[in-house]
Amino acid sequence: MKKSQIIAMKKVAAVVVSSALILTACGGENASSGVYDANSKAEISWLNILHTASPPTDTVLNKLEEKTNSDITFSWIPDASKEERINTALASDSLSDIVTLTLLDNSSVRNALKSGMFWEVEPYLKDYPNLAKIPPETIKSASIGGKLYGVPFQKDLARNGVTIRKDWLDKLGLEVPKTTDELMAVAKAFTEQDPDGNGANDTTGFVDRNDLVYGAFKTLSSYFGTPNNWQVSEDGKMTPEFMTEGYMKTMNYMKDLYDKGYINKDFAVTAKTDQQQKFAQGKAGIYVGALFDSKNLLNMSKGVQDDMELVMANDITSTGNESDRAIWAANNGIGGLLSFPRSEVKDEAELKRILKFVNDLLDEDSFALMTYGIEGTHYKVDDKDAATITNTDLWQQEVQPFASSRPKESGYNIHDADPLKQMADKMIADNANYAVLNPAYALESETYNTQGSELQKMIVDATYKYILGEIDENGFNQAIESWKSAGGSSIISEYEASYKATQS
Amino acid sequence: MKMSNPMKVSDAAALKLEGTKKATKRRGQYGILRNKFLYLMILPGFIYFVIFKYLPMGGLIISFQDYQPYLGIADSPWVGLKHFIRLFTEPTFFMLLSNTLILFALNIVIFFPLPIILALMLNEVRHRYFKNAIQTIIYIPHFMSWVIIVSITYVFLTVDGGVINEMLAAMGFQKISFLTSPEWLRTMYMAQIIWKELGWSTIIYLAAITVVDTQLYEAAEMDGAGRLRKTWHVTLPAIRPVIITLLILKIGTTLDLGFEHMYLLLNSLNREVAEIFDTYIYTAGLKNGQLSFSTAVGLFKGLVGLILIMMANKLAKKFGEDGVY
Repeated sequence: MKKSQIIAMKKVAAVVVSSALILTACGGENASSGVYDANSKAEISWLNILHTASPPTDTVLNKLEEKTNSDITFSWIPDASKEERINTALASDSLSDIVTLTLLDNSSVRNALKSGMFWEVEPYLKDYPNLAKIPPETIKSASIGGKLYGVPFQKDLARNGVTIRKDWLDKLGLEVPKTTDELMAVAKAFTEQDPDGNGANDTTGFVDRNDLVYGAFKTLSSYFGTPNNWQVSEDGKMTPEFMTEGYMKTMNYMKDLYDKGYINKDFAVTAKTDQQQKFAQGKAGIYVGALFDSKNLLNMSKGVQDDMELVMANDITSTGNESDRAIWAANNGIGGLLSFPRSEVKDEAELKRILKFVNDLLDEDSFALMTYGIEGTHYKVDDKDAATITNTDLWQQEVQPFASSRPKESGYNIHDADPLKQMADKMIADNANYAVLNPAYALESETYNTQGSELQKMIVDATYKYILGEIDENGFNQAIESWKSAGGSSIISEYEASYKATQS
Repeated sequence: MKMSNPMKVSDAAALKLEGTKKATKRRGQYGILRNKFLYLMILPGFIYFVIFKYLPMGGLIISFQDYQPYLGIADSPWVGLKHFIRLFTEPTFFMLLSNTLILFALNIVIFFPLPIILALMLNEVRHRYFKNAIQTIIYIPHFMSWVIIVSITYVFLTVDGGVINEMLAAMGFQKISFLTSPEWLRTMYMAQIIWKELGWSTIIYLAAITVVDTQLYEAAEMDGAGRLRKTWHVTLPAIRPVIITLLILKIGTTLDLGFEHMYLLLNSLNREVAEIFDTYIYTAGLKNGQLSFSTAVGLFKGLVGLILIMMANKLAKKFGEDGVY
């Protein structure tokens, strides 16, 4: 009780002091000419995405405010409901100074950006040391209609790969698979040869979840040479991925896994947490997803599967040729935009102050703060800048939620001392050399904007049905035909027209 | 026996009401002043309805526009019936309509009579503590959220180690993929609703049964009626107005089949039977940001509900009962 009272009093004091500062800052500010006082304390509200179960406590926030000379008020939106929450926020104009927009292909987000609701920032970036370093290709792919409506999140291009139980491989005398056939053989062995040695037939090879994109399907499809959502030919013809041979091969592969029982039978209705739990409990040995999940999987298995050792693979192909290596890039490596609505950020001076704030967030210190926490409290660091989290529970509560506030995730000196995480980071960096981009990402299609996700549902449903054996190839082709007639053909022709426009 | 004659009391009240009505007519505007406290009591409810039910209806206007949030209602372009035409011509329309109506029918035919039967059965229980205990136990599921109920179902029914499927396997049957097969969706949906809401729905019937005049039972006993006869000829006719009113009200609300419930059950493999208007509005409207289109879908759903309730009301009046209006 006493402690909380003291904190409350401190807060009151902080508010009084900061508001006094703001008052003085406002007095000296000349708003109309766009001149801002770089030393003024910025008062910033931020509509941000939360990937953890609960928002962070104030410990790290206070440090961050100190570091960036600002007063930050977060409004957190849980990741699971970001689509409707962002859409309603846009529709009701209840925004903040900074809005994290992650779904740039969502039609209402796109329309809002195009409408000029947000500041266009590209001309300002050069004035800030960290923002000036954003690579031009990132700016290009994050732009809509050639205009950049916010500071892009710089993410790794392609983060996915395969995580496998190393101790099980060793026990059964198997090598880390290099081809999809070898991966199938591993799945078979994990299912049939009792890799945990408990004498019961209670393991499967793969464990997957109800997600064709971030689950196993899309990553496997890259191994079969499937394009990332769309393929564009020399003469500008666009083909959706599900009309390619690679997609069919991937479906057959998944169907094989399902029919032979090498994958959890209810994968189509399994949630991500259940999937990870199953892996951590030793019910399966192959996890396809983000490579850095391996560290979490190992942490989760502590006390349940203490023998667990993991190995990752990112060089699997269906042919065994190094030249066929490929991995899809989520949103072409654009994690979204930090956007500044004109309704909240009234004038240029305010915008410039906020950009200064974003610039400060990109500093090494801020990155360390938002990634590892406070040195001595959450982590320790050795002389090679390798950080080890010392208090995982505290870190999860106070630091982890800030992960989504980092405008850039790699390229800093400080790094994780955990060998698995280091390996994952290395492989993710390596993935960038083989990344497959979505050629339609920056293209415009009115039909896609209005009906895109309804149409996509038809294909997703048909894909699941094919894998589970409810429809055959004819049935799948019928689904494609109805996709075409329900609007798919228009999407193709609109994309082709848009592509032509960008080429000329 | 304690409540000697409820009929008489209500008759008197009706008479008195009649009296006031006439008085109000005669004295014109003085009536409002005279009954100012009654009007004052109506006020909060009235304000509630205006603010939360009538004013938002103005928003329905956007179903005839291509509503863009930053333009607002005033500046968004008018497109007439475009969104309604899209709804009726989309291949999913008949699937949505039939799924919604089938679940609606199941709700009325299967679920509606159950609480009445249960209430009659509970009424026959003579042991007071036993009766109260049973009542409390069957109320409890009502207070659980759908997320919890669907999660419990998942744990029971999953093919990967779910209790039911393990039992089936142990008895030598094939495992059944309850969660992903369209054939099982409606059964699962109804079973969950019954489990959650059955106990709670008995409350009003039990209350209605307690005011049935005990003299009628005594008279029936004199005529040699057994328990079944008494239930059939005394209890049921006595609570008939309540049943009819609740039925009409239920018809009005059942088109809201429970977005949360269905959204949690819905997946790629059972969509053909599980997608209903509510889930469609959510995915098309909120997730995809098509506010105008989803408003059009919502408006259409509201109209269907209105037609159903009017039909039910008319039917009730035809059978000599009071409708709800």
